[in-house]
Amino acid sequence: MKTTRVIVGPQELLNACCTVINDHGRFITMVASDECGMGIDRFVVRYIFAHDGKSMLTVVESVVPESDPTYPSVSSMIPAASWAEREAHDLFGIFPIGHPDLRPLVLHEHWPEGVYPLRKDYALTEKQEQDFSRSWSYPKVEGEGVFEVPVGPIHAGVIEPGHFRFQVMGDSVLHLEAKLFYTHRGIEKRSEGMPVEKGLYLAERICGVCSVSHALSYVQAIENISGTEVPERATFLRVLFAEMERLYNHVGDIGNMCAGIGYAYGINHGARLKEQLMQMNDFVIGHRFLRGSIALGGITENITEEKLMFIEVTLQQVQKDLNEIVGQILSHDTVVNRFSNAGVLSEQIARELFTVGPTARASNYDVDVRRDLPYAAYSQLAFDVPTLTQGDVLARFKQRFLEARQSFQIIEQVIKNMPKGDICVPIGDLHPYSFGIGITESPRGENLHFVMTGENNTIYRYRVRSAPYANWPAVPLCVPGNIIPDFPLINKSFELCYACCDR
Amino acid sequence: MIPVLLEILQVIFLIGVSPLIQGIVKKTKAFLQGRQGPSIWQPYYDLRKYMNKDEVVSVHASWLFLITPYVVFATTIAVVAMLPVFMTHTLLSFTGQLVLVVYLFGMARFFTALSGIDTGSSFGAMGSSRDMFVSALAEPVLFTTLLAVALPVKTTNLTLITERVVSGHALLLSPTFYLAFLAFFILVITETGRIPVDNPDTHLELTMIHEGMLLEYSGKRLGLMMWSAWMKQALMYTLLMDFCLPWGISLEGKGPMLIADFVFVFLKLVVMAIVVAFVEMSYAKIRFFRIPRLLSAAFALSMIAIVTEYLL
Repeated sequence: MKTTRVIVGPQELLNACCTVINDHGRFITMVASDECGMGIDRFVVRYIFAHDGKSMLTVVESVVPESDPTYPSVSSMIPAASWAEREAHDLFGIFPIGHPDLRPLVLHEHWPEGVYPLRKDYALTEKQEQDFSRSWSYPKVEGEGVFEVPVGPIHAGVIEPGHFRFQVMGDSVLHLEAKLFYTHRGIEKRSEGMPVEKGLYLAERICGVCSVSHALSYVQAIENISGTEVPERATFLRVLFAEMERLYNHVGDIGNMCAGIGYAYGINHGARLKEQLMQMNDFVIGHRFLRGSIALGGITENITEEKLMFIEVTLQQVQKDLNEIVGQILSHDTVVNRFSNAGVLSEQIARELFTVGPTARASNYDVDVRRDLPYAAYSQLAFDVPTLTQGDVLARFKQRFLEARQSFQIIEQVIKNMPKGDICVPIGDLHPYSFGIGITESPRGENLHFVMTGENNTIYRYRVRSAPYANWPAVPLCVPGNIIPDFPLINKSFELCYACCDR
Repeated sequence: MIPVLLEILQVIFLIGVSPLIQGIVKKTKAFLQGRQGPSIWQPYYDLRKYMNKDEVVSVHASWLFLITPYVVFATTIAVVAMLPVFMTHTLLSFTGQLVLVVYLFGMARFFTALSGIDTGSSFGAMGSSRDMFVSALAEPVLFTTLLAVALPVKTTNLTLITERVVSGHALLLSPTFYLAFLAFFILVITETGRIPVDNPDTHLELTMIHEGMLLEYSGKRLGLMMWSAWMKQALMYTLLMDFCLPWGISLEGKGPMLIADFVFVFLKLVVMAIVVAFVEMSYAKIRFFRIPRLLSAAFALSMIAIVTEYLL
């Protein structure tokens, strides 16, 4: 993938970013880094944009000096940059001037002020005392009959932690605030100084259900730096694994959305098919979540003909069942009534926040990295990118089904056209202090990994922008106007991870 | 002397069998979902567990929270004592019973709702407000439906109503009963908090109605609340069968037939539990603001039942 670097001074940043946006650039994320190790004074911010269809990235970068760690906020023009700028503010202590909402994002209120863990002079093992003097602030909605309903971060089911604060009038939601980042594990800090081979294990564990996608993004970033050509058979097998991951996720989500309305038929058949797919994963790769399948320069283990046959047979069965089950679910009056018009994500919000994945496509925002910035063997395969226009829960439900059908087709083609040959090549030595970007389409949307190398094949800076990171800001905007009992359903229809958003 | 003992036995039977009915509903649901599910005796084990467990009571809870389980349990047993189960003789029997049943339910509900708000937890208050919304609609329906059955027999005494329904088979041919039956069935689903109105098995606090109000309870008090809910379920089934499917209820309350009647009534309860499980499994929860439609349909049915009574 071609990467164009645009280097500007901090004052030019806003202009440069707007120019790229006007040139049909799609904002992906901003990556901040502390580059004192390279003799730079001291921070660098990089705004990454994609040019879909041209298979090209533009990186607008600027140095932010230590003496005056400020830069003009881009969020005022590109709202999607808001979280990334808040995160850089929390972790590096660089201030976006004119940012509309600089509350802490990643580090919550009890983290002591003025301590910035991603700076290079902050040791990994350093411990902090909690500072209880600060408190979190929420926007208040006032008026007669308006109540505030705090929910979480600990929920009744075995689900990830997130705090939601509803301002309600009766059961109708007026405003929703989501406070996430309860599962921040400091993965990016931990990776610094790690050999790149070990970094792969870390990348695979960012998220439970998008292991392949994260691993693939990571190895693509590294291969991007080293200029490695991955053998053709490995590229096909990478597509196979990525689509197997998409399938078990989409099928599981189809069942899971029925759990939001207590529809037992959908819940149980969804769970059954997901289990069948995961057992297939286990048989083919030796791991139900497909971990340990991707390697630097290729894949870890060859897949035999018998296993490919097994996949084909299993998927025919699953596809048949899935068609029948989805047909049944969508012919149930109550289900359709609950799904339609709930949690509408308008096309305008989907576009302005640069949402990704099935969420974006169900709101008529046609973006899919597999087609727009092709990687692995996707450019050699024929598939459609379905889109829907309604943007409600029903659309996101149907979207997953339509995408699962494409995945069946892709896997069929992959197995039919599987080339022979090597499955892995060594990546060789990496040039120190250069960066690479890997982008893949996970079941939830585009995952971007930014890796900058240090000396001796180690990681200097690692930044992950997972799909949920791009989509979470859109969720609270879809809820006002709905009623509280519909929120679990709306949330399930987005099906965003908390852990890979938090890292 | 013996009838009184039998009447007491009748009350104990319904109290004792109510967890089993819940167990059967759960087992049937599990079976329909392709799962094995817990044993039908599980609710009894649960009760024993609750009774032996320590209780955690919020510091914000007042006396109201503490007495509610006893009030609810007592009112439910009072209703049970008025109900013909396997014979028409009941422990308590007087004119106006029908009205009292409706308001004893109302009282239990009133206390449950208050205790939901009492601790200041947001889920409890949401549950209470929703339950009040649903019951404001369900109560008139319950009343008119009971009235639809009471009108032809011209009494509000449950014993007399059931006696006449059982003995006067001609009554069962009247459309009034079928209409009332349908209305009553919707009510049973609503009052026992089942899908499509409420989901008793959900962990999603934001969607809860009845369970939401119980979230703060633990130990013994939770046990009482659960048991009361199961009793109410068995009671609603019995009430439906007394009025609309009265076969097998003994008029004399003695003789060898009594045992056969007893078994038959028990089987009817089991069948009813299985039917409810089937209904639950074939529906999804409806949108909250659609519940009024369902209940207004029940209301319309019971009103038509009353009108039919005078027209035909």
